[in-house]
Amino acid sequence: MRIALSFVSLLTFILILAAVPLSLSVIDGNVTFSFESMVLLAKEYFVGLWNGDSFTYQEGIDRVQNMMQDIPAYFLTSLRYLLLAGILAVLIGLFISYWYSKTKQEWMKDIIGFLGTIPDFILVIVLQMGVVFIYQSTGLHVARVASRSADENAYLLPLITLTIVPTIYLIRTLSEKTYDVLAEDYILHAKAKGLKKPFIYIHHVVRNVLPFLKADLHKVIAIMMSNLFIVEYLFNIRGITAILFDGTMYQYNLTVNTLISLVIVYFLIYWSIRLLILILERVFAHD
Amino acid sequence: MTNWRLWIGIITCSLIVLLAILGPVIAPYEKDFMEPTGYYYNGPEDFGVHSSPYPPSKEHIFGTDQWGYDILTLLLYGAKYTVFVGIGVALVRIIVGGLLGMWFGLTGREGKKNSNSIFGLLGSIPAFVILYFLLIGITINSELSTLELIFLQAFIMIIIGVPGVYAAIHSKTNELKKDLYITAARALGAGRFRILWKHLLPHLKGTFLAMFVKEIIIVLTLIGQLGIFNLFFGGTILRLGGPPVYISISREWAGLIGQWRSFVYDFQWILIVPLIAFLLLLFSFYILSRGIEIRQKAILQKYPHI
Repeated sequence: MRIALSFVSLLTFILILAAVPLSLSVIDGNVTFSFESMVLLAKEYFVGLWNGDSFTYQEGIDRVQNMMQDIPAYFLTSLRYLLLAGILAVLIGLFISYWYSKTKQEWMKDIIGFLGTIPDFILVIVLQMGVVFIYQSTGLHVARVASRSADENAYLLPLITLTIVPTIYLIRTLSEKTYDVLAEDYILHAKAKGLKKPFIYIHHVVRNVLPFLKADLHKVIAIMMSNLFIVEYLFNIRGITAILFDGTMYQYNLTVNTLISLVIVYFLIYWSIRLLILILERVFAHD
Repeated sequence: MTNWRLWIGIITCSLIVLLAILGPVIAPYEKDFMEPTGYYYNGPEDFGVHSSPYPPSKEHIFGTDQWGYDILTLLLYGAKYTVFVGIGVALVRIIVGGLLGMWFGLTGREGKKNSNSIFGLLGSIPAFVILYFLLIGITINSELSTLELIFLQAFIMIIIGVPGVYAAIHSKTNELKKDLYITAARALGAGRFRILWKHLLPHLKGTFLAMFVKEIIIVLTLIGQLGIFNLFFGGTILRLGGPPVYISISREWAGLIGQWRSFVYDFQWILIVPLIAFLLLLFSFYILSRGIEIRQKAILQKYPHI
């Protein structure tokens, strides 16, 4: 029931959000907001659902395309990048946070923390410039700076960006939790029993850190979604977010459908990573 | 051990604020000065055309952009928008979200967690996308004046950010509320406002300070992300007729990065200079937040057993 309720509210939110650019305008120096046009757009969308108009969009001046044919390709591209990056981020994050939680060197934390504060768009531009610089000085073509077409996607740099940002977030939060877990009495007890460090880590630390990872997962994926917009835009990847900013003409139904597919991407990623955590639990936290 | 991070943070942040205030005074050129394009003739062997963008030289320390504007001048004029909007928006977010969070944290019953799922769902649509939809109609070629637009944009940014601060402070207050000194104060007949002011606020002061600096970084990132999508703080000029050209009116730093982001392949100084300036800005706030964090941690220390 609650899930259904939040879905309905999310859908309403999307319908309202997509209508804002068309109903908010500046006329004679005053910001005006037309509620009627918002309702009208939503009504049109629902009517369109019935007769199929909501699933077509206009390309160029006079071509009408079917969204159900075109969106899946974009959708799968985004999903592929996010899945790879998400799995990498969780694994690397878990691995590094253990080691990181124990370092006494504050300067290491400074560096990782600062990497975490660098916004994704700066990371992208720096990576692109780095590749150009290497090419100009050595003639070595390390990676694609951007995708030239849908068949020639840039992979290395987008994946690096998409992985680094959530990984650093995970390292920072999980290392704190790991630190707290390491300070618990049951760890002291295990140590007093003479158990080896790797054993304690695998059987007691990891399994007690995983719940925090689960709790933090929404935040992590929210960060990744936000990254996805920047990465697809700056690397010219034909993913799901590219439809929103393609921008020849603002189309309400296209925007609504894209936002809904974004929510679906979000859930697919969320549950795939939950599955990964489940597997990790089977490995580390079985009794 | 002295907390050198805190000191470096305080010094660099004050320098940046000073620079933002004095920027227009110490700028080497007028705001709209353009280095002209022209011919030169020094002899039959030595002649040609010189045209913008000019690389960094003695006259233009950081070079000029593709139209001949001096980059250092633009940065100095734009600094005040970036710095003060970042600080201002973060400050209002903390004050509003913090007060509401503390108040409702005290009055509310045991923390209900049912808001979690809807927040999780909203995570699928990032904050800057919501801002993008709200601002796209009013930012590009806007009829509003720069100042009006800045206030409007700042207002929307505050509203977007308050719930996050509110949730964090609300849960923190819910935790603190269970502590004995609050119960004791209550038993002695202290009112809600007195508890908030005399017991909670002193306890949360450090948290507020750390959150404030972190919030500045979040706001700057948000401005930067919008800049990448050509929505500049203070307004965007869009020139059509040929490839579309987006120009930031306020010359705000993130906007400069956004408008020059395609200079990845050639004339890279045009992009590198504002990028480094923006990174330095973020770094000084970051090092300040680290300094505060370490000071906080020294007070509430825990030690691992292995």
